[in-house]
Amino acid sequence: MSSTKRYWKDLGELHQDPASLEGRGNEFPQDLAIDQVLGDASITGASTGRRDFLKFLGFSLGAASLAACETPVIKSIPYVNKPEDITPGVANWYASTFYDGDDYASILVKTREGRPIHVKGNPRFGINRNPALAKGSINARMNSSVLSLYDSARLTGPVAKGSETPATWADADKAIAAGLAAAAGKRMVLLSNTIISPSTQAAITALKGKYPTLEHVQYDTISYSGVTNANLKSFGKRVFPSYDFTKADVIVSVDADFLSSWGSTSETTWQYASRRNPDMPMNRHFQFEARMSLTGANADVRVPVKVSELAKAVVALHGHISGNPAGADAAMLKATEGAAKALMAAKGRSVVVAGSNNEGVQVLVNSINSMLGNYGSTIDLDAHTHFKQGDDAAVAQLVKDMNAGTVGALLIAGVNPAYSLPNAAEFKSGLAKVGMSVSFSGYADETASLCSWITPDHHYLESWNDFHPKVGQYALGQPAIRPLFDTRQWQESLLTWSGSTTSYHDHIRSVWEANLGSRGLVGSFGDTWNMAVHDGVLTAPVAPSTAPAVFAGDVAAATAAAAKASSGAGSFELSLYTTEAIGSGQHANNPWLQEMPDPLTKITWDNYVCMSPADVKELGLNMYLGEKAPASVVVVKVGDREISLPVVPTPGQKQGTIAIALGYGRGENGEQVGRAACVTNHNGELKPVGRNVYPFTSLVDGLVSYEALNVTVTPSGTTYPVAITQTHLTDMDRHSVVKETSIATYKAGDKSAYNHAHELGVHEDVNGDGVIDARDRKPVAEFDLWQEHPVEGVGHRWGLSIDLNGCIGCGACITACNSENNIPVVGKDEVRRSREMHWLRVDRYFSSDMTKERAKEEGLGKIDMYLQMEVPEESPTVMFMPVMCQHCNHAPCETVCPVAATTHSLEGLNQMAYNRCIGTRYCANNCPYKVRRFNWFNYVTEKFGEVNPAWDDLGRMVLNPDVVVRGRGVIEKCSMCVQQIQAGKLAAKKAGTPVKDGSIETACSAACGTGAIVFGDLNDKKSMVRGLADSDRSYHMLEEIGVKPNVNYLVKVRNTEEAAAHHA
Amino acid sequence: MLGMPLLARISERSTGLLHASLAVLFLLFTTLTQAQPADKALYDQGAKLFKGNCASCHKPDKDMTGPALKGAVGRWEGKGDIHEWVKNSSAYIKSGNSYAKELFDTWKGSVMTAQALTNEEIDAVLYYADNYTPPVTDKPKDGAPVPGAPQETSNWPWLVVIALLLLVVGLSLSGVKKSLTNAVREAEGQEALPDRTFGQNLRAWAWNNKAFASIIGLFIVVFIILKLWDAAFVIGVYGGDEVPHYKPEQPILFNHTLHAGKADKGNLNIDCQYCHSSASKSKHAGIPSTNVCMNCHKAVDAGKVTGTTEIAKIYAAVGWDPAKQEYTGQQEPVRWTKVHNLPDHVYFNHAQHVAVGKLECQECHGPIDEKMDVAEQWAPLTMGWCIDCHAQKEVKMAGNGYYDEVMARLEDTDMGHEALKEYLEDEKISVKELGGWECAKCHY
Repeated sequence: MSSTKRYWKDLGELHQDPASLEGRGNEFPQDLAIDQVLGDASITGASTGRRDFLKFLGFSLGAASLAACETPVIKSIPYVNKPEDITPGVANWYASTFYDGDDYASILVKTREGRPIHVKGNPRFGINRNPALAKGSINARMNSSVLSLYDSARLTGPVAKGSETPATWADADKAIAAGLAAAAGKRMVLLSNTIISPSTQAAITALKGKYPTLEHVQYDTISYSGVTNANLKSFGKRVFPSYDFTKADVIVSVDADFLSSWGSTSETTWQYASRRNPDMPMNRHFQFEARMSLTGANADVRVPVKVSELAKAVVALHGHISGNPAGADAAMLKATEGAAKALMAAKGRSVVVAGSNNEGVQVLVNSINSMLGNYGSTIDLDAHTHFKQGDDAAVAQLVKDMNAGTVGALLIAGVNPAYSLPNAAEFKSGLAKVGMSVSFSGYADETASLCSWITPDHHYLESWNDFHPKVGQYALGQPAIRPLFDTRQWQESLLTWSGSTTSYHDHIRSVWEANLGSRGLVGSFGDTWNMAVHDGVLTAPVAPSTAPAVFAGDVAAATAAAAKASSGAGSFELSLYTTEAIGSGQHANNPWLQEMPDPLTKITWDNYVCMSPADVKELGLNMYLGEKAPASVVVVKVGDREISLPVVPTPGQKQGTIAIALGYGRGENGEQVGRAACVTNHNGELKPVGRNVYPFTSLVDGLVSYEALNVTVTPSGTTYPVAITQTHLTDMDRHSVVKETSIATYKAGDKSAYNHAHELGVHEDVNGDGVIDARDRKPVAEFDLWQEHPVEGVGHRWGLSIDLNGCIGCGACITACNSENNIPVVGKDEVRRSREMHWLRVDRYFSSDMTKERAKEEGLGKIDMYLQMEVPEESPTVMFMPVMCQHCNHAPCETVCPVAATTHSLEGLNQMAYNRCIGTRYCANNCPYKVRRFNWFNYVTEKFGEVNPAWDDLGRMVLNPDVVVRGRGVIEKCSMCVQQIQAGKLAAKKAGTPVKDGSIETACSAACGTGAIVFGDLNDKKSMVRGLADSDRSYHMLEEIGVKPNVNYLVKVRNTEEAAAHHA
Repeated sequence: MLGMPLLARISERSTGLLHASLAVLFLLFTTLTQAQPADKALYDQGAKLFKGNCASCHKPDKDMTGPALKGAVGRWEGKGDIHEWVKNSSAYIKSGNSYAKELFDTWKGSVMTAQALTNEEIDAVLYYADNYTPPVTDKPKDGAPVPGAPQETSNWPWLVVIALLLLVVGLSLSGVKKSLTNAVREAEGQEALPDRTFGQNLRAWAWNNKAFASIIGLFIVVFIILKLWDAAFVIGVYGGDEVPHYKPEQPILFNHTLHAGKADKGNLNIDCQYCHSSASKSKHAGIPSTNVCMNCHKAVDAGKVTGTTEIAKIYAAVGWDPAKQEYTGQQEPVRWTKVHNLPDHVYFNHAQHVAVGKLECQECHGPIDEKMDVAEQWAPLTMGWCIDCHAQKEVKMAGNGYYDEVMARLEDTDMGHEALKEYLEDEKISVKELGGWECAKCHY
């Protein structure tokens, strides 16, 4: 029984706003932009007559044929001495490690002829490895990091302040040594992100040997001091614990976006998703938050609360669990009742996390977890992580000292405090008073450009590194390419300045040899080292602690401290967050990330104010955004700081609260922070992408707070265009696009209740009752409009299975696809015109979670129920659906191509021959899934040089040489990574074995650490993808139109108690 | 002389002939005696042993990694036991022989590998070295065509000359005809024909014979269109039967025939994949890196055809000093000109064709081992050429587990069975039938 639940993609569709719905059915909302194609307005203005035109035409035709007669002379230069392990044309994969202070993951780097071109998670080793699926979980920032290697804005050598040209390292070392010597006696500080590298620590110690006054201050751009301080107070350990979400039956998160940004996301994502399989015991996930986060979007129960109520919710939850609810907020006690009940029923099998950086809140969370017995089960304080060691108090003290003039030298590694500190202005004024300041940044960024010297570090893919992410876990990062520029690893700079001449590689080796002792050794140290380089990791077990963690925090004091986080609430409350794509802002110069749509708002190339639609309506701002409907701009004022930003109505945002993403607005003062951080806007001005809202952070009790409770929002009366992929290129108005159900309905076992097959009436007695009537029906699958392709048993039939339960919407598949398939970046202006080129998109559907059943359960009256149904944007449920070419066996695109440029293969692939395509775009118009993309321009030209990585010689190095770069005027689309299929088949043929299931991966399936996307051969009856395709949850998108896709989806199952099944 | 008897005349001539032949024989004999050692059997035994054991470091007449062996017996005379030295040089140095020590130092400490040879065998090698004479190379003169290069034979200049002659004859004949006609007309009392140009004549003729003229015109137009159509098909085609093969100048005149050609024709018969080793592993066959050349050319420093000039270029690239027998470290990659160029939108994989399809290189690259010195594009490399082959070639399934699985699936299902029946209509499974004509096999 399916209900009438409504799904919508945006508010325009929900409210049926005629203006914003107009033209939505058009694949190409605009006519061919001839003037743009010609590229020059003067051409259209010129008086070129018909005869002239014909002359030009004749000439160009003649010239072209003549030119074609000339053989292009292509040089081919082999190695003089070919390295043994390189075969031109064959990719090499190297195990390495990604760590940027925010995220950590074990990765594999694909290199071709010595160039890194692709990054994926290490499927065999590392803490981010999903052992059940043998996949390494990584996010979009990690797999896009390969592109930043080829950024032409990177510094090419050490530069002194005010100098345009790089100096020599000898000069730089001399000047810096003199500067450091002059600072003797004063405070000398190395300010860095959290260092988890034992060898870096050793290098710092070595430098301390020469400059005894050197101190090391760690600074996390997004502070976790509240968490680590709370652990110090509660358990005597200032650490960020290890979480194991695989053991958690119940998860309660209060504003912790643990699937996107909070904590060690490369672990939590796969751990969480591994418990979302409805055929195994599913976890139950409660989320309390003000803004709609990626984590909230995945929750079974999401309770929107105001920013000021978040701390109250923790206090109330603590009240429930401790059995002493006195003093807790009554409304919050009611709101947290369900979560508390579930937690109490899952003692030792649950986890509570909170995103707040308030120490009191975190102590209360520790107390809750301690009472629930989660320490030693879902939370590990013994084998804790080494992440998030930053100390807000030490950073604040440093800024104070700098301004007081007592800091003689400052070395800055891996952080950008002049951009990201709440008191960045004070930091800048203090920096001017520091005698010798050195930045190791690879760019002349906000902080580095103010330093006396910039001694640029290698890109991480050019470096040796080691890591100690957790107790007992070690990892190595190895270079995949020689340094492109005259840069030097920053640790090697430290070693050089301390008087050592060892290379950093040798240094790491000696540190490991000295520290490992006999732990984790496989044979000799040399063998162990080689093994560690090969695997990327080394596990050196330590004896587990027998003493259980005993909570020793002061709950009363914590409650009082938490109360501070709730005081002073104003008309609007602001929470600052980091997005899936841009993070804390250090990768804002990466075009792949800027063009990746935000998982929830689907906006690219901007940050903005997320506001509840009700508030948008009340302020009279633009509700329906689109190409021709720009967003209203408001002035957001926090204290004495004002920033103008566009407003995006965001379903799920709690009324009275707003949220703005950090990490944007890089290079506001013209700093060279790299491609794509600053681009030419619609007015032709070179402006940073988005605005920097770090100034809205503040220090509360010595800790950085990402919340502001007394915020004024004033409409400015102006508008600003935003590039939103939300409203275009999504599906036609049909049924059976998304299907969801509840665990109760699913467990009842009747497939037709939640995943019924579409049937058509036939004029024959199917049911055998002797009469031909309306009851004689056959499933759509049995009808064929065209002659059937031979599929079953004929060679391979490649297919994808996409589990809507496993998909958390992170978008790592989108950037992986970018990297694998040379997908051009087109820039904000083109995205606004519906011309994004992504072969894979993740559709996001909202629906109201208010149903008749739920109203009954919550005891709502009829009027209340209908009111809630009326404003579903208050608390919508969310579904994510990755959509790529569905490779239909009856593909509508194939039948309309006048030149047979798109055809079907025996292996079930819908093939696209670019060189055959003449650009009629009939196929795109006829595609029911809207997955075909048209090349409106030659994107590898200077016109797109600002955003397109592949237009210059350096950026071109990231291209995958096995995939052609498409030219202007042709259609392209997902090929199901046919280059990988062909390579996999060839490997099997050479080995003389059948293709092993799992040996071929598409870029998206390899990037999906949660295992939502599974690729394989549907004709291999033992394959995983076949098993999934034959399972009860499997359905085809738009099944009723009978195109028989080779991509299937698995019905989403929510862990909610009421019976439910919906589709739209 | 005239009065001389015939016989005498003959005998005088034959004496001259006799002298000449004797001289030739003598020369031949002396050359042979020079080249031929006294003890042929010992020489041959030595040659065989030398090639098997010594040639990787020694040359008989030149220094290489080790010294030239010619004269070694003389050099050792009275200084020690050359047999012991050859059998185990390091032990012999340790035994305290001063000449052995001196030799070791001169050759910068390269240790000579111990040789398991008997004294007799060592004597044979040394005998061979002492009596060795380098083979005479027949170096071509400058400008002489490189053997194997195809000779262009063309007769179009003759055709032009004949055509011009015909034209002249035709024109004069028409002039004669006109004069005659006019003379006849004059004789008959008619007016002479107006003096018209050839063009005017032609037009008048065409006007009078419309049907004939239009048929000829049609033929001409169709002929031109057909020719243009044909010409359009070979635009951008640089191989095949219809156009001259692309054979760019290369920085080194590498002679494929000499290296890969059959041994019975005096060539070296080196397997193609010895140098193009990635052909069975990668999409690229790969131009060998210069260090591969040095595997042989460290020892072979002069060629049969080009002498030392071309091999010196390898040495320059890899940084090898043949005089000192050491690497200088000065490297300069060779900039070859690519011969087989496929468009960017085509994916071609050598490994697929070499390792799985088990094709011979010559099937696409032509008689590269028979009559191709510097590489040239043999096949047209057009799509038509590719898919023609895909349509004909049978898939080499035997003994390959991958294809066993393909067959098992075909036999396992109704749909597969149908397909298999269709495939086997011509009693073989061609590449095309398994999808070798599909776009995304080569275009992605």
